Amino acid sequence: MSFCLETYLHESENYQILISRSGFKECKKLIIDHSPEVIYVKAGEKILGVRIIGVPPIAIGINEEEGTVTLPYTKPCYGTAVVELPLDKNEIKNIRSLNIK
Amino acid sequence: MKRALILLGCPEAPSQTPMAVYAVYKLTKMGYEVTVASTPSAMKLLEVSDPEEYYIDNKIDIESCLAKLEEGSFDLLVGFVHKDAAVSYFVTFYHILNIKSLAVVFERDPDVMEDLAKDIMESTDANVVSARAYHNPTPIRVKFDHAIKDLEE
Repeated sequence: MSFCLETYLHESENYQILISRSGFKECKKLIIDHSPEVIYVKAGEKILGVRIIGVPPIAIGINEEEGTVTLPYTKPCYGTAVVELPLDKNEIKNIRSLNIK
Repeated sequence: MKRALILLGCPEAPSQTPMAVYAVYKLTKMGYEVTVASTPSAMKLLEVSDPEEYYIDNKIDIESCLAKLEEGSFDLLVGFVHKDAAVSYFVTFYHILNIKSLAVVFERDPDVMEDLAKDIMESTDANVVSARAYHNPTPIRVKFDHAIKDLEE
């Protein structure tokens, strides 16, 4: 079964929220500052089973050493949060392949 | 029949729900089949405002809509924007759909309103209209009427 971000965030505690109820610009800056590697994706790109919401190019952080990915997560009434979660190498490779820059 | 999608943001701004009903009414008169995508709470407001679905009979949860959205699924996108998150949603819908689009920005703080409009203009080719409004929908309605008149021409 493929990874689903929504389900993961509901059912797991193994993730970190780096910022919440914020704006997309602040979240993008945090991802860039926080991550050793940053890739950029199109708005609406499907990552981990959900469409990534934001103003393109949307920054996604990768920490190969820690095996984590940092990405924005937006809800209409709560603004944008930045979530860091562990992923296996294949999922990280899939995400890296979506880089548009 | 042409299809229009109206995108609603967080329903905390009182003028959004009447504007949604009004926009569906206007676009339906222009010959569009209109769908409204919103959060569950914004949908509840629409359901109470229009209990017999006299105006709005196509409603969809914003997340379900986004999940199955594809380029060209609609012919026109209209988004009501009064928060940073609504900019993100509108821009995302715009880039997936790649169709004629109108962003209706409203805020009581003129600086915030300007920033929201600027963010959309910098990341899309959508038509953007802005109104200083929160409780009173009239300034938004006036801007919306002008904008859709332009779209018709």
